Amino acid sequence: MLSQSIIQDVITAALATGGDFAEVFVEDRFTNNLALQAGKIESSLSGRDYGIGIRVFKGLQSVYAYTTDGSKEGLLKAAGNAAQAIQGEKIIQPSQLQKEIIPAAHPISLNPREVEKLRKVDVMKKAYEIAKKYHNSIQQVTVRYLDEEQNVLIANSEGKFVEDRRVRSRLAIQSIAAEGNQMQTGFYGPGAHKGFEFMEDLNLEHYANEASRVAVTMLGAEPCPSGKLPVIIDNEFGGIIFHEACGHGLEATSVAKENSVFANRIGEKVASDVVTYIDDGTLANEWGSITIDDEGEKARKNVLIENGILKGYLIDKFGGRRMGMESTGSGRRQSYRFAPTSRMTNTYIANGKSTPEEIISNTEYGIYTKYMGGGQVNTTTGDYNFAVMEAYLVKEGKIGKPLKGATLIGNGPKTLQLVDMVGNNLDHGAGMCGSQSGSIPVNVGQPMIRVSEMTVGGTKGGE
Amino acid sequence: MNLQEFKEKLFHLGGQHGFTDMELYYEREEKFSCELYKGEIDSYDTSEVFGTSFRGLYEGRMGYAFTEKMDEESLSFLIENVKENSQFIEDEVQEEIFAGSKKYEAGSYYSSSLAEVTIPEKINLLKEIEKQIYAYDERVTGTDYFMLSSGETERVLLNSKGLILSEKTNHAGIYVSVIVKQGDLVKNGEYSKFTRDFSILNPEEIAKYAVEEALSQLNARSAESKKYPVLLRNDAASALLQTYIPIFSAENTQKGQSALKGKTGEIIAAASLNIVDDPFLEEGLLSSNFDSEGVATARKDIVKDGRLVTLMHNRKTAQKDGVESTGNAYKASYKGALTVAPTNLHVIPSDQSYDELVSSLSEGIIITELSGLHSGANTVSGDFSIAANGYYVRDGKMQNAVNQMTIAGNFYELLNNIEAIGSDLEFSMGFMATGYIGSPSLLIRELAVTVE
Repeated sequence: MLSQSIIQDVITAALATGGDFAEVFVEDRFTNNLALQAGKIESSLSGRDYGIGIRVFKGLQSVYAYTTDGSKEGLLKAAGNAAQAIQGEKIIQPSQLQKEIIPAAHPISLNPREVEKLRKVDVMKKAYEIAKKYHNSIQQVTVRYLDEEQNVLIANSEGKFVEDRRVRSRLAIQSIAAEGNQMQTGFYGPGAHKGFEFMEDLNLEHYANEASRVAVTMLGAEPCPSGKLPVIIDNEFGGIIFHEACGHGLEATSVAKENSVFANRIGEKVASDVVTYIDDGTLANEWGSITIDDEGEKARKNVLIENGILKGYLIDKFGGRRMGMESTGSGRRQSYRFAPTSRMTNTYIANGKSTPEEIISNTEYGIYTKYMGGGQVNTTTGDYNFAVMEAYLVKEGKIGKPLKGATLIGNGPKTLQLVDMVGNNLDHGAGMCGSQSGSIPVNVGQPMIRVSEMTVGGTKGGE
Repeated sequence: MNLQEFKEKLFHLGGQHGFTDMELYYEREEKFSCELYKGEIDSYDTSEVFGTSFRGLYEGRMGYAFTEKMDEESLSFLIENVKENSQFIEDEVQEEIFAGSKKYEAGSYYSSSLAEVTIPEKINLLKEIEKQIYAYDERVTGTDYFMLSSGETERVLLNSKGLILSEKTNHAGIYVSVIVKQGDLVKNGEYSKFTRDFSILNPEEIAKYAVEEALSQLNARSAESKKYPVLLRNDAASALLQTYIPIFSAENTQKGQSALKGKTGEIIAAASLNIVDDPFLEEGLLSSNFDSEGVATARKDIVKDGRLVTLMHNRKTAQKDGVESTGNAYKASYKGALTVAPTNLHVIPSDQSYDELVSSLSEGIIITELSGLHSGANTVSGDFSIAANGYYVRDGKMQNAVNQMTIAGNFYELLNNIEAIGSDLEFSMGFMATGYIGSPSLLIRELAVTVE
């Protein structure tokens, strides 16, 4: 992408004013985004992102400069702009770059760039047909297709020089069901760190039908009761709750400055005994998986909470400096436009011992949420919220009528203590996570779990 | 390759490949941002990026592609992808390359005095604010976000019908989030502002606002979960409005994703509600003289005395509805496809102050902060159930903070349930937003409030 000697010069220039570490990140990314509406392809957008990010550290100061100008002059100018922020004398000589070959941990068999777009359109049209004919109340179906090939080169003053290719594919189906004045939506968005083979092997019937089934089911749903109730959260994308409730709070971004409710608590009991929480970037071909992170560190499996005890954090290079800890391979960024920071990859609650049937039959009165929407957390206070896409009332150990308009709110550390049952049906769901270093692909996952008490906000008054 | 050279080669190559009309959209952006943490520069970012988007009509259909690299490889990348992308577009109304409006406003949204503010001056402002924050109250323990950013954007639109448009804008923004601690209680308080006038950023006022906001939440108590009159403070009101702005887009009504379909000319809100989209607002973040298709922008009423005057249109949605474009064609950047979005859209303020609105409540809830809007608000059905923070009011007086609530209702109903509108217009700083959206405080007759 860029020659080793130019990069060596750029690193040297970035350190001219006394930086103690410099890094170059080069990105060349090809994307295809297609959208289908009412059975017709509405937009098809292809693009090429190209840019370079240069980062310099001096102690606990981080400087970042980026540019789309890949000429030697452009790069030296950006390096000079970065160096300008640090005022001092040169203190280190960068190491000679050593090219390291890291084998791809997530093999791709069909590069989407080599696949005709018409084949992509076919997949979208099939998904549309299935979702549309699910029920006559389905009024609209939107199908989005995304593929990308991101080529990166990461080099730094410690002599690191690595390249990586990340290929990802995703299909997102949204169904809208309408009846009278009522409109409800259902959504499913499977994705993987795979090429077009992902689309060829995808169980379209399942995903398209589910998106429509949720929309149609919610048409007949009653307003959700509000108040403090036991809540059962099903597996897969249900894991979004722990992504918000504690995943973000375990990132160095907030831990390093002690702005997190989990700061300085390694070894302490932060969750109930049944909770083991893991971030694992090595899961084969999963949507949130990586071979190396965006600082060139190899992906790894990080156990964050084990049987309720806090074991570790998600750490990037810069956050690690303030914490006096090593990187955990968690430095990620959306693109060259962002300096990397500590982020999640595939984060999940490990399997427990209960069966889903046991969990439901043990619940006298509460809410069962089958599919979650998105959520948000304030990492300083630990307060989180998220939306429920499909929910049901549980009465006397049985799943009852569907409920709409439910929002769950709570406090991460408190919720972790209130998990009283963990199922044995672990599965993962694909999502996008937005934070300081942009929007990145992550998986959230869990088996079915039960929280003994959560605040449910709904349109129906308290009961 | 420079822009002119790239355009000539691209249009020439396009012509050879059978393209009839072509457009090249170019954007160049310079940005600076700096974050401070306890007196030290924590992060310092500078950038200069550019990119181009190519649209072309091939066999009567429009294709798109973009690139950030202006080299020979990108020329063929653009041509090949635009050709392929155009082939399966099946929309009954085709986009076309626009020859230009008769007249464009000549407003300038570039402040040369802002451009002259140096980086050390910007860092000094942050340092001064930080000093004031820690001096204000001993319960301040730190900051979360503490950032200043500034930027300059240049846009150029060139097409094969001879249209040449260009514009340069700049801005500065400040985001402060303060953390206070009392016993085991930890709370945040925030301040954010966007401006082209650096001199209005007063360190003392900014520090006072953010710290007071955080401190006011330390006396939080619970309240009964029930339906209350709700005063959405200007920042919360504009955040909610921002979330529901897509319902005013003709693109969304045409897709069946907005209940305002066919409602143009009808009463959709309380008679006191007026909403305007103003591309010529001096301090507007999205002020501009031409939209992303090259159509001249215009100030327009969206809602007048509760009546829906017009939806927002680009040329394609206008053609489908048999009307004129309102100059609301929008591309998030050269990377985005053409869609519809507002410029600087806001609710017109009344003469009633925020304090007057508070004192009019015998019992109610003030909402100061909403979170999880991206997931808790359904823009299709209008239903929302959103996490919120705020205060409990009795006998016209603020009693205590209430944290961790949800407010639930329906946006279309809320528009009709507006009882009063404040005089305190403020714009929202949403990062993901399309459009720069503002609102004064809004008093809503009733919403379901659940308290943790």
